Order: sequence, then structure tokens, then C-alpha cells
Amino acid sequence: MAFRAPYLLNQSKVMKKNINILIWITILFISIRANAQDTKPLIQSTLNGVVVDQVTNQPIPGVNIQIKGITHNAMTDMDGKFYFQTGQKFPYTLIVSYIGYETQEYIANTDYVQISLKESRTELDELVIIGYGSTTKKDYTGAAENVSSTALKATQRSLESSLQGSVAGVNVTQTSGQPGAGLSIRVRGGSSIQGGNEPLYVIDGFPIYNSEITSGVLSGTPTNPLSSINPSDIESITVLKDASSTAIYGSRGANGVIIIKTKKGSSTAMTVNYDFTIGQQQVRNKVDVLDAKGFANLRNAALYDTNPTLGTNQYLSDAQIAALGKGVDWQEEAFQKGITQNHQLSILGGNNQTKYAVSGNYYNQEGVIKNTGFERLSVRVNLDSKISSNARFGLNLTISETNAKVAPAGLITSLLSMPPTATIYEPDGSYTLRNPFENIFANPIATLNERKNEAITDRVLGTIYGEYDLLKDLVLKVSFGSDLIFNKEKSYLPSTIYEGLITNGESKIGTTDSKTWLNENTLTYSKIFGEKHSLNVLLGYTQQHSTREFVTSGSQQFVNDITYYYSLQSGNVALIPSSGESTWALNSYLSRVNYNYNSKYYLTASLRADGSSRFGQNNKWGYFPSFALAWQISNEDFFSSLKNVINSLKIRSSYGATGNQEIGEYQSLATLSSVKYLFGDQIFTGFTPTRISNDDLGWELTKQFDAGIDVGFFDDKLNLTADVYRKTTENLLLAVQIPHTTGFTSSLQNYGSVQNQGIELGINASLGNTSFSWTSNFNIAFNDNKIIALGNDAEFYTFGNYILKKGESLGTFYGAITDGILQPADIATKGAYTGNATPKAGDRLYKDINGDGAFTTAADRTSIGDAQPDFIFGFTNTFTYRGFELSTLINGSVGNKILNGNAQALELYNGQQNASTSASDAWTPTNPSTTTPRAKLDPAPVFSDRFVEDGSFVRIKNITFSYNLPKKFSEKLLLNAVKFRVIGENLFTFTKYTGYDPEVTNGTTISPGTDTGIYPATKTISGGLIITF
Amino acid sequence: MKKSILYSLSLLFIISACNPLDENPKAFIATDNFYKTDEDADAAVIAVHNAINSSTHTLYNRLIQISTEMATDDYEAGPRARNAHVRALSNLTHDASNDRMLEIWRQSYDGINRANVAIDNIANNPNLDFQKAKDLINEAKFLRAVFYFNIVRWFGDVPLVLHEVKSLSPETINISNTPETEVYAQIENDLIDAESLPVTQPIKGRITSGAAKSLLAKVYLTQKKWQKAAEKSKEVIDSKMYDLFENYADVFNVATKNGKEHIYSAQFKGFTNWNGNMLASTAAPTSVPGIAGDQADALHKEGGLFEAFAENDTRKYITFAVEFVSPTDGKTYKVAPHFNKYFDPATPASPGQSSKNTPIIRFAEVLLINSEALNELNGPSAEAFAGIDRVRQRAGIDLLSVTSPSISKDDFRETVFEERRKELVYEYQRWFDLARRGSDYFVAKLKAAGKNNAQPKHIHFPIPQRELDLNPNLKQVPDWR
Repeated sequence: MAFRAPYLLNQSKVMKKNINILIWITILFISIRANAQDTKPLIQSTLNGVVVDQVTNQPIPGVNIQIKGITHNAMTDMDGKFYFQTGQKFPYTLIVSYIGYETQEYIANTDYVQISLKESRTELDELVIIGYGSTTKKDYTGAAENVSSTALKATQRSLESSLQGSVAGVNVTQTSGQPGAGLSIRVRGGSSIQGGNEPLYVIDGFPIYNSEITSGVLSGTPTNPLSSINPSDIESITVLKDASSTAIYGSRGANGVIIIKTKKGSSTAMTVNYDFTIGQQQVRNKVDVLDAKGFANLRNAALYDTNPTLGTNQYLSDAQIAALGKGVDWQEEAFQKGITQNHQLSILGGNNQTKYAVSGNYYNQEGVIKNTGFERLSVRVNLDSKISSNARFGLNLTISETNAKVAPAGLITSLLSMPPTATIYEPDGSYTLRNPFENIFANPIATLNERKNEAITDRVLGTIYGEYDLLKDLVLKVSFGSDLIFNKEKSYLPSTIYEGLITNGESKIGTTDSKTWLNENTLTYSKIFGEKHSLNVLLGYTQQHSTREFVTSGSQQFVNDITYYYSLQSGNVALIPSSGESTWALNSYLSRVNYNYNSKYYLTASLRADGSSRFGQNNKWGYFPSFALAWQISNEDFFSSLKNVINSLKIRSSYGATGNQEIGEYQSLATLSSVKYLFGDQIFTGFTPTRISNDDLGWELTKQFDAGIDVGFFDDKLNLTADVYRKTTENLLLAVQIPHTTGFTSSLQNYGSVQNQGIELGINASLGNTSFSWTSNFNIAFNDNKIIALGNDAEFYTFGNYILKKGESLGTFYGAITDGILQPADIATKGAYTGNATPKAGDRLYKDINGDGAFTTAADRTSIGDAQPDFIFGFTNTFTYRGFELSTLINGSVGNKILNGNAQALELYNGQQNASTSASDAWTPTNPSTTTPRAKLDPAPVFSDRFVEDGSFVRIKNITFSYNLPKKFSEKLLLNAVKFRVIGENLFTFTKYTGYDPEVTNGTTISPGTDTGIYPATKTISGGLIITF
Repeated sequence: MKKSILYSLSLLFIISACNPLDENPKAFIATDNFYKTDEDADAAVIAVHNAINSSTHTLYNRLIQISTEMATDDYEAGPRARNAHVRALSNLTHDASNDRMLEIWRQSYDGINRANVAIDNIANNPNLDFQKAKDLINEAKFLRAVFYFNIVRWFGDVPLVLHEVKSLSPETINISNTPETEVYAQIENDLIDAESLPVTQPIKGRITSGAAKSLLAKVYLTQKKWQKAAEKSKEVIDSKMYDLFENYADVFNVATKNGKEHIYSAQFKGFTNWNGNMLASTAAPTSVPGIAGDQADALHKEGGLFEAFAENDTRKYITFAVEFVSPTDGKTYKVAPHFNKYFDPATPASPGQSSKNTPIIRFAEVLLINSEALNELNGPSAEAFAGIDRVRQRAGIDLLSVTSPSISKDDFRETVFEERRKELVYEYQRWFDLARRGSDYFVAKLKAAGKNNAQPKHIHFPIPQRELDLNPNLKQVPDWR
């Protein structure tokens, strides 16, 4: 957002510019008008002006203004204004200087000037937005980190994706490649087993837990609610990690807090910015499966195995197989190259009284699977206005609509499993309904082409605030906000596809309204006593209330498939409609004291009391204190001799408690749910208890200790931040499995404990001069996650393919260990280790873990790796040379395992569905394979270490190359600045993982790292331009 | 200035009072607000009925078939039964980790808990209509007896839970096994109470006194309490409340649902917001155009059930279909014998929407119970012939009293069992009948049908491993340890 000084233009240029702008309007359908101020080269002997901060646009008092070459100078007043009897002729040069800002030479040729000063940006002066306030990195006692602007700029999809690789200790994985789908974010490891593990988002002061909003009508991945926030509107993202930073968010701080600030206006001339990007996405790779010949051979082998008397060619003869081509490549049929485009128009400006930022965004992403995609349309208005010298008010408002076409659940599994000898269409042109063999599932291409499966989300997120200076140092801030989300899901299963056959067309519509209201009231007192004692006190009371309601309805048995979900009444059978409601409330008192003595000794203490409706009547209120100390050693006198090398050195430490309340509503109450029964011909409704009540249900409590060091070398050319932490979560909200003899499966209780401990290291370096610069950011985080206790004296719980076990990590896989293939000579000795009652050569062997002389799936399982990485890292480099800029982001994860569920299905080798190409090595008497079992019609699926793969990867996440058109050219176009850029995402990945993509998880807390039927991740190349008027 | 501070602070206090933290769910009824009226009490008992067949893969909507009947000589996992757990049962290679086992265990105790909740809460409310409350409690007791009668036969000594579990303390949730005899005693008590239910119910499908007596006769029979079994079944026969349909087909006709032969049935109705009978779909063929069958429940050919029916047995081609007329091309397709009792010709494209009920106990079985019990008491008396011959007569086959008037006691027993086998195909009976004859009989029958994995322990199912893991007081079935 370049500020263009008015002296650059003369009258005729202004007119010409206006004409040109009209042309631009026509071309781009956007309206712009730069605030071109008339320039009158008069000879005057006075000079008026104001000096503001270039970023915040706040007036800067005490700035020295000197006319170059003479000693005459002036200083700005409290409002940043100055007045000057110069006695000089225009133009002349001013030297504008102020501590902490870069000294600027400014050519004055009018009697009124506005001068923006650029902060002399050292790392330590970087603004850190914290809960209910802000500070500088230098003065901060906690562990918080800003997302680099490089990462922010590269993101158009959703705001969380900018966190990937850019902040130490934040692990971001994709839950689905479905456009608009969410990401799983873990700040310093996952600490909850069954409560939410996602961080709290605070968007312009509005705390949001990003929970999926779905009425259940949609099949597949629901839209990520945060995808409605336009990433291009974001000014900064700060991640709060330690307890001292997050405890101010009390019961919602345990998973870390991500503070997002959107772009604000400035009290300068209006700037208009148009940003256009277009790109193409494709799948990174395909999974190797058999072609038609390979499949025919497999099916023949499986049939022969079951019934050898019928011969080796029960499916197809050798001649028929020879005549087969490749068959249908189902993945190829479903995948496409998807076009993405993003249009962003922002208008920023204002004057001394009011500042505004207005933007509009249109984003459209076609999926890499046909008929899937995501669109976003959003508008944002941010206003800040001064009412008087001691009162201000403002507004942040965003309105958006997203529309996602979603790949139905199970689609990827079907694409992989559909036999290549099956056809998409029958000879008569109708769809092949399903897999022709024993394992029934629908023709995935018919599903993709014909099924309607959409989610539309409208969101209005806004806050208004008023600020009033009660005293000179005491500010009252009152804000009211609301977050209204209206989600509609629509589904239609036509009668022409397998899923719609039985119901003869099924149409469903579901809507969910989520309404959250927020009121925050804070008092902030800040004062410096006696020049050395700096004190900042915050007191507040906040309340938040949220209600969610859903309605679904539907009908079946349609005469034809013409009306989709637009005419439910056209179905012959109405489905029972359903509706539901849930409400939660959170009331909080908060307080914080920041004190420092002479910028050397820092102390922060905070306390928040949260009352949540979600907990049992004996446990409504929780208290979350924190305490932090820091010592800015480099400000000590004895350090001054070192300052040439180490310009700053700070050590800090914090301890505190935070909570987690993400368990959903009414979980402590004994409630009844309705059920039906048919008597005669009439349906009756009954009620049955849904759970055993638990009045003691309370908070998950996380206690975290953090110690860190911040060092700046060579005038902040090189910065280093390191943290060690230990985070212990107690009273885990756990759906404790209880015996079914109670009538129930589980009961939500506070049980057990999980610990995360780790080390984080961040290094920033920058080099360069006016024409060349290089900045580099490297971060690496080691986290060790461990279950300390599961309560009830339990040593472990198993959940499907996972185990929760004392001393092991969350997300530990639990299965059998393979031990080769049974060879004919070993049937008598090793047959018992196949798990089959009648073992045959070619069966897979497993280790007899309990040593009872036989393998059984129930008893011979053990821990076989976990989904927690040993470390994750990110490495960002940005090079600029004149107008060129190249930035790269490399990120990686090492030591995590992935359960390749797709491979598990593809290695059944049962001839009923397609299989991995490894089937060609299946055991036969003539091919005594030691790795691949024989083909057989009904293998028992056994989860084993065979399907647990190394998920480590290193990838070039992002490469952005941009070029700023030199001013002299852009001005010829009468544009202020033109920037071209090319972005490549996920272009290169280095991994041993054999699935679609290693950066994957199904997202649930108990079972992270499972990759079964997940919409594949993509790689993208896009290009675009940014025009500033 | 001080005033403004004061105003602001008092504003904060005012605001702070208006966001209550109490939870008042609007879409759910809190337990405390329920069981107050006769209607509430009725709804509590309807919830117990729901546990009989609430949706697909619930106890009497196919779960018992795939979880237990597969492990007999008459059934096997069909081509569409891809679930490894079901196939394991069919091959008798199942173990305590079998998920079908867990499901029948879970659903049975869910039903038991619902019954306990209804019984406790209705009994505790003196404001309810006395007679209505008593009837509702007795309906719940009947259903509780149905659930316990199943699990005691499947698992032997099972935990006997008779009251709502309200606390999460280990003492209340870790319940140990109760000896089989005590469980049976409780089943008998519940059914004896339920005998005082009305003889007829205005709403078809609800429990009657006759249902309680009939089930009680079966409970006695299973325990070899021959005298009581004979008396109780005679009581039902003599009541003249029930009779055989003249036509066997009417037992499984939609039009004759809840008719004179039906004593207690799982209720189905397709294309409504209730459920169709899933057995219709899982028995239906996959090869006939226009019939969307999903044949997972197949006839185990080597068992010889189809061949055991005489050609003139009118039950044969009602029990089995060997051909289907395609609703799309009108052609007749020959198929291997498919179970056909629940296939609803009204819903060929969606067989699972069949509106046919599955009998849980019907009059023909009461007759057979009576014959079996009398034979055990006194040998093949005329009285003993009466029941089985009514059943055979309706089937159109020769009367036993005519063909074998001097049959031995043992042969009579075998004949009754064979009659039960043919009369009650696909009605969730075969495993129970095999198991109650003891392990030698069970193993011999299965091996004769080529199911060579059968072992003596298979007259019980293993208690699910999950339950043993969670509950230290629970012991596995002895043969499965």
C-alpha cells in the first residue's frame, strides 16, 4: 500500500489519470478514485503538517523536523502536528527524524504535508498482539510468535494455512483436500483426548472455537467455518503458546490461541488495491492400482483358490485377458485439473478523524475431483473513528457466503477399489450401478456426476466498540459483537445411481443457525511512574452466549430426477423431519498486571475466572492464573560492552493454568431422547435415557511451564528465540468406556492426564542493502507427547486401530505384527500364526505376541508406532533484488507414522475389488513370495504394521516469485504500483509415504494420522497481478 | 470524571447479571421432568419395545441372524456377507473379539436397561393410574425376560441387572456373573408377573397375557422343566385365543399380520418412517433384474434343509423361493433356494422395505412345545401327537400319529426337533434349538453339515472381550477361557 506524495503530479496528469482510471474501471469492474490533492507550487513561508506512523497511522508526537541545509527546526505536538515559520521557497527538503523510526528526507512543495514515518523495524520492535491488548516483542514476557508476512501473502485458501511451517511448534495437517475443508492445528501437541484440540481463534477480538457446523445432511467433509474469513484481509496473525499468553483466555486457552487482526484504514490518501490470481491445481500423484489384465488375473486366482476344481480361469480365459486393454482408470476418470481464481479489491484510507478499510473478495476453487469445488464471496468493512480527544469508536464487519460442492464420503475408497474391468456405462448408455462383484459399492463416477451434495454458509461476523479515556491513563473499552452463521446443506440422490435406486430418488435439506453474541468490557490503566516503573493493569468482564439450532427435512420416491431438493413435496414418502437446539454461555472476569522496572525486570501476572454452562452443577466456575518473569539482560549497564555483538538479550519464564471446555452441550445432564415403535400400523414415540448424569463434570486443566530466551545479534541482523516447555493436562474430558451392562457405552468424566514437553527454536536473519536483501526464518520444534494416566487405574483403552496407553503417545497405532508368508513346508509348524482355522500356504503370518502358541486378532496386538512427529520445522527465505522478490517456504515433519487405510483395502487381494499393483507378486506355488499373501476370495482384514508407514516428509510448500514493475512504467499506466507474481504450492515433496500425500490426518483426536479415503492433497501453480491505484 | 468511572463500573455490574450459566436443553427432556404422567410411563415402555428392532441390524431386524444363526447347520454367510466377523461366525472361527458378539450383548443390555428404567420409574410414581402402571410394568418385564432369555442361552452366566444404573462408581458398574439358574429364575418371575397382562390388547403388537404364557412355556422347556412347559403351553392352547392359520402362507402375509397365530412378533412396515424387514433384503437374490437383493444370508446347502422338506409340504415353497419373476422384464429367473418368508412382492426393487413381521413366538411353536414336553414326560402319548400333528396337518404332510403311531420316545423327540427346524426356518430359532440339546448334539449336527470347526464350546458364545477388559468382576464363559 504505497503512499504516494502529491507533489508527483501536476494538474494535467491528474486529469489524464482520471480518464485512465475510468478505463480501468471498465476493465476491472471496480471503482476507484485516488484522493489526488491539488498541488499548488506557491511560494509560502509557513509549513503545516502532521507526522504519522506508516503502519498504524497514529500521529507521532515529538518528531524533529528540520529543513535540510539549515538549522531551523520544529517538533510535533501531542497530535503529531507541527507548524513552522520557514521563510523558504518550495520545494525544499525536510529531514524528519524520531527515535525508533527511520530518518526520512521529504521534499515539501505544499504548505500542508502529511509525512509517514517508517518504524526502524528491528525484530524486537515488532508488535505482538496479545489477549485484550498489544505489546512489543521486546517487552513481552510470554511465548508468542507472529506469522511471517511471506506466509500471509501466499495464502488465499483459508487463513489457517498460513500457519503451516511458519510458526515454531504449530503443527498443521490437512484433514481433506476437499476445497473449503478444514485443517487440523495443534499448538505444542494435542493435550486433550476427547475434548477439542483445536486452538482458540480471536478475530478482531472475537473469540471463536472453529467447530464444524453441519446438520448432517451433507455427505463427506463439512465446510470449515474459518474458510468464510478472507485471508487477504488479514493484517497479522499471532500465535500465543505459553500459559502467560493464553491464561487470559482461561477455559479456552489450553490448545493455544491464534489472534487475528484484519487490515485497518489509515489517515492518509485513499489507496485502492486490486489483486488477481489465477491458478491450476492437480493431484500430486495417483495411487498405483491394477489395470484390467492385472485385475482379471487376480480374480481368476482368488476364485481358483476358493474352488480349485473349477479351474484357473473361472473369471476370464487367458484369451479374454489378452484381449483386455487397460480397462477403466477410475482415478483418472474422476480427477481433473482444477482452476482457482481469486479477486481481491481493497480500499484503505481516511483522515485524522476516521479511518476505513473496505474490501471485497471473490475466490473460486475447482476441486481436483470433478464436480467438487468451493466459492467464497466476502465483504469487509473496518472503521475507526475519533469522536473527541478522549473517545473513539469503531466497527469491524465481515459478511461472507461460501458454497462448497463436496465429494461424498467413501468416494476415494470407491475410486481405488472399483475394478478396472467394470465400465462406467452399461451398453445401453445408463450408468453401471455398482461394482459387479461381491463387494457392493456404487459406481463412483455415476455418484460424482449425478449426486448433488452442497453446503452453503452465510456468515456475518462483526464487532462494534467504544473506547473512552476516563482519566489520562485509564481507558474503558466496551464492545459488542455477534457471529451469525447460517449453514444450509442440500443433498440429492437421483434414482439413476445405486445410492438412489432403493429410495427412487432421495432429497434432503438441512439448515443450521449458529448465533453467538459477545460483550466485552475492559479497563486498562497504563502509566510510567518516576520514569522507571512502568505499569499496565487490565481488568475486565466478558460474556458470550451461543445458540445453535438445526432443522432437516427430506423426502423419497420421486417421479423423476428433475427437481432435486427444490421440491421436497414432490416425493411420495416424507422422511421424519428433525430439529435440535443447543446453547452455551460463558461469563468471565479477567485481570492482568504488567510491570517493568526500567525496561530491565518484567513481571506479568494474570487471572481469569470462567463460568461455563457446559459443566456439571458442582463445577461451573474455573480459575486460571498465570505468572511470568523476564529479565532484559542487555539493558543492564554491565552488558554495554557486549552490545556491538549482542544488541539484546532477554530471558523469560512463565507458569500458569488454562482450560478446555470443548465437549459440547448438556454432557453432564441425564437427558432423554426420542425413539419410535410400530404397533399395528401406527408409529408411537417413546423416550429413553441417553446417559448417566455427572454433576461433577468439570474443566480440563492444563498447567504449563515455559522458559525462553530471546537474543539479537549485530543490531538485530540475526535473532534467536528458544523455548522449552512442559504442558501437563489433567482431568481430561474422557468418554470413559463403561461396561454395556449399564445400558450405556461410555460416560463423559474427568479422567487421566496427558503431558507434552518440548523445545522450540526460531532463527531470523536478514541481510542486505537498498537493492538486495535476504531474510531467512527457520523454526524447529520437538514435542514429546505422553499419556500419564487414564484414570480408574486403567492401563490402556483401545479404540479401533488405536490404543491409549499410559506412557505412550496419543495416536498410537495398535495392531498385529506381520511375520512373512506361510510356505507349504511350514503349515504344520506355523499354521497357527495365520489366524485362519484352516491355514493354507500363502496366508500371511503374524507374530504371536502373547505367546499362547497361536495368532488371534484380539489377543496378539501391540503398539506399532504413533502419529506424533518427533519434530516439525519450517524454513522461509525471501530474496529481493530491485523489483524482484523470491520467497520459498520449506516445511517438514519427521518421525510421524501414517495409517495407510487405502493400502489396507487395496491389499486384500480378494478379486472382488481392485487391488494394489503389489498383487502381481502375490504368493503362488510357483512364486513363493515372502511379502505378499495369496489371492483369496474372503480374507479377514487384519490391521497390522504393514499399513503403518513412515509419514516423514520435507516439502517445498511454497515458492513465490514476484516482480514489481518499476515506478516509471507503472506511472505510464497511471497506476501507483504493479506487481506480478507466480506462486507454486506443494511442487516438490520428499517422502517415503506411498499414499496420496503425507500431510494428512482424519482429524479426530483419538485417531490422528489415519488416511482412509481422504480427498487427495493438491499441488498448485498460480499467477497473478496486484495493482495499486 | 469520577462520576463517569462510577457509571461505567455500575454498568458492568448490570451487564454481568444477564447471561445465566444453567443449562436448560430445549430439544431434550431432562430425566427429572419425566415419568410424571401416564403418557410418560407409556413412552418409557415404548422405548423398551424399540430395543427389539429399532433399525437395521438390531436384534430382531437381522442382528440375531448374522450373529448367531450363521453358526448353525442351516445358514451360512452369503455372497454379500463381506463382514469378516460374520464370515467367522459362519465358519465357527469367531472369538471374543467378534464385533457381532459385542453388538448382541450391547443391544440386549440396552434393552434391559430401558426396561429397568421404565419399571423403576413407573413403580416409584404413586400418581399414575394403578392398573395402567401395572400393565406397563408387566410389559417391560416381559421384554426384559425376552432379552435375558436370549443372553442366558448365548452366554450362560451373565450379569443380572434389575435396576437403573444411576451412579458411575465401580461397585455399581462392575457387575459379576450371576449363575444361569438365578437368571432363569428372574426370567420366570418376570414372565409370571406378565401373565397378568390383558388377554387382548386394543393396539396390535403390544404384549398380552398369552405372549407371557407362551414364552414362559418356552423358558420352562429350555430348562427341561417338562411338566411346567407342558402345563403352560396347554394353558395357551386351551385358552382358544390362538389358532393356526389354515394356510401357512398367511403366517407371513402383510394382510394377515398380527393375526390369530401370531402371539408376539417384531413389527415392520416399509416405506414409512418405521423400518422394513431387513431379512427380506438379505435373503433376496442379486441376480434378478429389478430385484435389488443383497443376499448375505444364504442356505447352507450341505445341511440339507431344502431337501428335508417333502415336495408336497406346503411350507417348502413359502419358506424358499427357487425362482423370481423380474419386475422389469417379466421373465422368470431360476435361482438356488433363497429364504423367502419375508420377501414382500410389493417392494421388489427395495426388498428391505418389506412390511412382513418376524414372529418371535407364534402358536405353531406353542403346539410343538407342548408335544415335546409331553413326550419327555410320558413318551409319545396321543396328547403328545396332537400338537405336532396340527402343525403337520396344516403343512399338508402325513400325520405322525398315522405314519409312525408307535414311534419311540427318542425318535419322537428327533421328529419334533426336525418339525421345529422346518416350521421355524429363518425365525431366529435354529441356534437355540441346537444349543439346548447339548454340545455333542450340536457338534454332531454341524459336522454332519460340513462345518468341521464346530467344537463343544460353541453351545455358547464368548462374552465380548471389551466387557472382560472393562469389568474385572466379569468372567468369561468357562469353555471359552
